[in-house]
Amino acid sequence: MSSEPIERRVSYIGDRLKGSKCGICGKEYFRPRDYCGTCGRKSFGKMQDIDFFYDKGELEVCTLIKEPTNRFIKLGTYVYGIVSFHNGKVRVPSRLTDSLLNNREEIDVSSFEGREVVPRFRRRYAVEQSEIIPTISLAFSLADGYYPHQEHEIVKPKKESETPGIVGYGVYTPKFRIKEGTIERSVPFIDEDSITAAVEAGKMALVHSGVDPSLVAKVYVGSESNPYAVKPIASKVAQVLKLGEEDKAEGVQAVDAVDTEFACKAATSMFKDASALVYYPGVRNHYAMVIGTDNSQAAPRDEIGGELDFFVGYGASSFIFGMNDVIAEIEGWCSCTSDTPDFWRRDQEPHPRHGGRFTGEPAYFKHVSNAARKLMDKLRFQPNDINYFVSHQPNLNFPIKVATELGFKQDQYMPGLKVAKFGNTYSGSSPIGLAAVLDIAKPNDRILIASYGSGAGSDAYSLIVTDQIVGKRSRQKFTIHHQAQNQNIEYVNYETYRRLKLGM
Amino acid sequence: MILFFSREGNSKHLINPVLEILKVWRSNIGHKESEFLPHPCPAIIGVGRTKFGEHYEKEPEKLIEEAWLKASQSAGIERRNLDAAYIADYFLQLTNKIGIEEGFISELTELHVPMEKTRSFSSALLNACNAIQSGRHDIVLVGGVEKMTDRWEKIRDDLMLLEDPWSYYAGCTPEANHELMLREYIKEHGIVGERLEALNVALAQIAVKNHKQALKNEYAQYQREISLDNVLNERQKAHKPLGLYDFAPVSDGATAIILASPEIAKKRSDTIICVAGSASATDYVTFAARQERTGFIASSTAMKSALKMADLKVSDIQIAELYDQSTLLEMVSLEDLGFSKKGMAWTDINESCKDFQGFYRVNGKELFVNTNGGLKADGNPLGATGGAQICEVVTQLKGEAGDRQVKTDKDLLFGCVLELEGFGTKAYVHILRRGDS
Repeated sequence: MSSEPIERRVSYIGDRLKGSKCGICGKEYFRPRDYCGTCGRKSFGKMQDIDFFYDKGELEVCTLIKEPTNRFIKLGTYVYGIVSFHNGKVRVPSRLTDSLLNNREEIDVSSFEGREVVPRFRRRYAVEQSEIIPTISLAFSLADGYYPHQEHEIVKPKKESETPGIVGYGVYTPKFRIKEGTIERSVPFIDEDSITAAVEAGKMALVHSGVDPSLVAKVYVGSESNPYAVKPIASKVAQVLKLGEEDKAEGVQAVDAVDTEFACKAATSMFKDASALVYYPGVRNHYAMVIGTDNSQAAPRDEIGGELDFFVGYGASSFIFGMNDVIAEIEGWCSCTSDTPDFWRRDQEPHPRHGGRFTGEPAYFKHVSNAARKLMDKLRFQPNDINYFVSHQPNLNFPIKVATELGFKQDQYMPGLKVAKFGNTYSGSSPIGLAAVLDIAKPNDRILIASYGSGAGSDAYSLIVTDQIVGKRSRQKFTIHHQAQNQNIEYVNYETYRRLKLGM
Repeated sequence: MILFFSREGNSKHLINPVLEILKVWRSNIGHKESEFLPHPCPAIIGVGRTKFGEHYEKEPEKLIEEAWLKASQSAGIERRNLDAAYIADYFLQLTNKIGIEEGFISELTELHVPMEKTRSFSSALLNACNAIQSGRHDIVLVGGVEKMTDRWEKIRDDLMLLEDPWSYYAGCTPEANHELMLREYIKEHGIVGERLEALNVALAQIAVKNHKQALKNEYAQYQREISLDNVLNERQKAHKPLGLYDFAPVSDGATAIILASPEIAKKRSDTIICVAGSASATDYVTFAARQERTGFIASSTAMKSALKMADLKVSDIQIAELYDQSTLLEMVSLEDLGFSKKGMAWTDINESCKDFQGFYRVNGKELFVNTNGGLKADGNPLGATGGAQICEVVTQLKGEAGDRQVKTDKDLLFGCVLELEGFGTKAYVHILRRGDS
């Protein structure tokens, strides 16, 4: 059913809500066009590209859809309406996402009207398992809800650094959670997956860093839950976020994009590659983005591998590396690898398996402590030289145990331990911990992060925070704290969680 | 040529002074004025239709055959008399995987004359009128057919995608834009409280009225009365502003008419029904992007053109078939076509329904609306729908509507038909006039 050319065109426009603005009269259009209907022929060549990707709209009128068309059935009941941008200069059809509405209750749709909304990058509708996954940003959420509106401003860098490091970062977790015992875990809405989270996290990192997206030379996306066996998430991220110089005539971005996979360390593994790339002579002033994204998979509880179902989360992190306005320099790294079959997913299997035999020892503990210890030895650090320690967080026990064994105290490892808030976000797990620490770190603080990827390996990095970190903080409203402690968080039961996680 | 504007009532008419002199002269020698318009008006000499509803046992070709045979019977013509055929179907290609529809008509009639396919019956009629007025053809078959129930499971997706892909992508349904328009209407006119209740009742009255009128229409999909409570309860059950009984159904059916030049028509009958006005207009495909969202610009524009062509005023129209895909559309069409004032149609409806006499009272005049039951009760097989609307007005103007024949103080002379494609993306208005030769 799906047509590749139609998919490509609809995504090209719809993922970013591209349009045009007349350079003469200022009239705006959703969907790019070459001339203005009001100004006519004289507007040829004077139309400017615009998009509404970072804008805030207003939901003018809406209605409740209770009987959607076939492809939207899995969304259940939802609000559909007209969103205007720029004080009514442009109006688009729109769906409110991120809301679980009760079909039996009376809902006053007028309470949604007149409210500010933010475009969200989501799956468009359901298709067959074998088809191209359609996406769109005509999905919106309320601006006064969980996900705030954030301006994207390109900021000219002021300070060049000697050492490569992180120039900005962003984390995306959804507003839904399941709470069981002491653990809360993030749950995707039904139109989300690891692709949509990757784009949202990348967007947050661009907002925070103020980096010109056209200067991003490479994007790495680490994931073990790409809904495609073959087709990168990174290409979607590159196109939607307009990474690299855009060649409009050819319809391509001058950026390298690649997906990586190594269970939960697919992203952290690339931190050093990204750093090395931006440090390479001649590529200065360029940036590299590393995203870790997962809709962490787990079999239902009564099936083999079902023990993971108590811990899996959903979310993505994005870090931009560069040499300008660095907020945390990379002091050094150390990795280790062994062929340990502790956790795997065979091709075409929906859920990963957990042998159980190797999970803690020798898999997690051996690799994490080996990489962390070797890095500390290399840099001649004692645990008290380090302010924050972050490790991979498949549950609460493992990271606490490994931190204690390495000689770290609670105040060093607790700030970065977020598994009890978001669950195990796989490739995004230790990076979310790192982001939580960066949210609160002071200049000159030292952070040690040791990721873990089943299969098995660990990457340890030592980062030293710079004074640039303070100035950039005000740009990011969607902090880890905001996402963890938010009155708009919606808790769902187990049944809903499984349904949402399965997606469209 | 000298042109000037004359004011008649509220509307401006373009008057050709030469024609005016000609009219006066001809009327002096005993001709009626109605025969003297700038162009000869094509006449409808026969109508035919099938019952609307589900016809799972019949192919689309079978349905159009039935309609065509009835129309040719009523016109008293043979297949070989046809100079051309204009056939409408909205999406047979999708629902029934039928490619070149004209070929089926060719096989059916064993003719090799020109045939064209359009999306709506009104569009086919407009093209046929142009062909006759240009002198190219004398007798033309205008037909419409649709088989929607053959694609029951996917029909709403198809309808929405064809109506507007971008709205579909955002999650729109075929019903949603009607509800958005209602919201816009309520907000635009500041309708709250008791007035809002009254507006909701007015919309329900439309469904009740249309079902009642369909009782006397043997071809109607639903020949069953519904009550105000039925309509309101369905809405309440769904917690929706518009419910099950506010929307026209999915239907199969076919309609056909025979259109002929006035000369041919006059030879056949004393009473001729001619197409005095024929016009269409267009609007954006995406409802959200339109400037006007409390009605259809396309409808008002087409109506103005059609009235001008027929040299009539809105108040001359006595009977109207409106495109009530939803009860809301019957209401806003009353405003779009100029019968009711903007924001006031619902009060006109409520006033008229207090003791319903079979017509709406608008602007102090009687207006019969959707006497066949409208799309709501008669059925809505898209490509054929306009044909049923035309059939109804023709039958009423001829005084052959039997039980449902409208009763007017003055002679019933003028009727109009509004047909839409998509959600007001296209509008067609045809004005039919009875003339006695």
